Amino acid sequence: MRNALWRSAVLAGTVTAVSITIAGAHEIVGNRLFPATLTIDDPGVNDELAFPTIAHFKTATTPDTPAYRQTDVSSEFSKRITEDFAVSIGPTWSHFSPPGGPAMTGANGFQNLETTFKYRLFKNEEHEFVFSTGLSIEWGGSGAQSVGAERFTTYTPTIYFGKGFGDLPVDALRPFAVTGQFGYAIPGKSTTVTVSTDPDSGDQEVDTEFNPRVLVWGGSLQYSMPYLKSAVVDLGLPDVVNHLIPIVEASLETPVSNTFSSGTKTTGTINPGVIWTGQYAQFGVEAMIPVNRDSGSNVGVIAQLHFYLDDIAPDTIGRPIFSNFTPPGRPTFGQ
Amino acid sequence: MRYIAIMLALLAMPFAANAHAMLDHASPAVGSTVASSPKDVVISFTEKLEPKFSSIEVRNDKGVAMQAGKATLGGAPTDLRVSLKPLPPGTYKVIWRVLSVDTHRTQGSFSFKVGP
Repeated sequence: MRNALWRSAVLAGTVTAVSITIAGAHEIVGNRLFPATLTIDDPGVNDELAFPTIAHFKTATTPDTPAYRQTDVSSEFSKRITEDFAVSIGPTWSHFSPPGGPAMTGANGFQNLETTFKYRLFKNEEHEFVFSTGLSIEWGGSGAQSVGAERFTTYTPTIYFGKGFGDLPVDALRPFAVTGQFGYAIPGKSTTVTVSTDPDSGDQEVDTEFNPRVLVWGGSLQYSMPYLKSAVVDLGLPDVVNHLIPIVEASLETPVSNTFSSGTKTTGTINPGVIWTGQYAQFGVEAMIPVNRDSGSNVGVIAQLHFYLDDIAPDTIGRPIFSNFTPPGRPTFGQ
Repeated sequence: MRYIAIMLALLAMPFAANAHAMLDHASPAVGSTVASSPKDVVISFTEKLEPKFSSIEVRNDKGVAMQAGKATLGGAPTDLRVSLKPLPPGTYKVIWRVLSVDTHRTQGSFSFKVGP
């Protein structure tokens, strides 16, 4: 029974945990660099390594479990198979401070491993638009139950888009861009049945939890200082400022069917922050503001170091496994 | 410890690597107004370029090409330069497409004005 209560209690926390295991890939579309976002995935298909991503937040208080602090450390490696198709894999390790965990003494362990297959369907350089589709698989049973990892596999087909506003007539608005994702998480099992023995009466108790199908959605609004400098007006700002992208991300989940256990309330976070983008890597930090009491108790924080492998190692690990592009001969400069 | 070693190795790698060529600065400057017709447009990128696969177009507000000849490397292997026809007062759009020496393609555009 205690385990059943624990499984219910971590449901809301799992929603948040799943969200932050997903890291995006940067994408260049015409003048526009869409950076890798921290709490949602974005339309980028690339060779990248996000390591580490560290998130710290306080979970929601439920009728059965008081709030506790959770720290997640995750990474994601993304590899292009072709120019437009990539596979990524990402583990997440979680630490629950007391009173988290099944015995309320805290817990540590890996969440379920997640694999994402993503294909870029359309890219328009002139209008800074990109559209991709993908399938994420959270492999059931690959993580620790003590941190809420489910025993069943979850499949999430998702669409992603990015749009830069460089074609707007007002110069001050042209550095703005939006990205978004809409996914539908389908659990491999519609119910989870837990049988336990009451320690007082010795009676067997059966608890049935309904695993909901969940709309996983979110987006970002970003203002690109690199874009301002290179495509709108060079204001002569300090170099560090010219590499910044202030951003607000929204990472949300809404149970939409089989919701007898979960209810239908939307949970998630709004995440304002900033991303510094360089030639070979980016660094981002964002606050995590719960959208309601079911999403968390306090403002959390997430930070990520993200490497552009296609720029770091363009001739080896940073290029697609199958590519039809033949590089021209290297020129000799200074002659 | 192993992860830290991998991360440090990756951080060290950029010094020997190449990346997407992005616009660093330009002359005339992005979004600027110049008093008289410039002789050429020079764009400095963040990476070395393949000149055979790199180009600059300069168009007036009617879409007429105003560059004179093909773009060539400037004083540095990261600079691309194109000569201009005499430019009457107006707004001009610079469209660049480049290939960095590591075969990354990038493209972009910006505008500048000639006149008071």
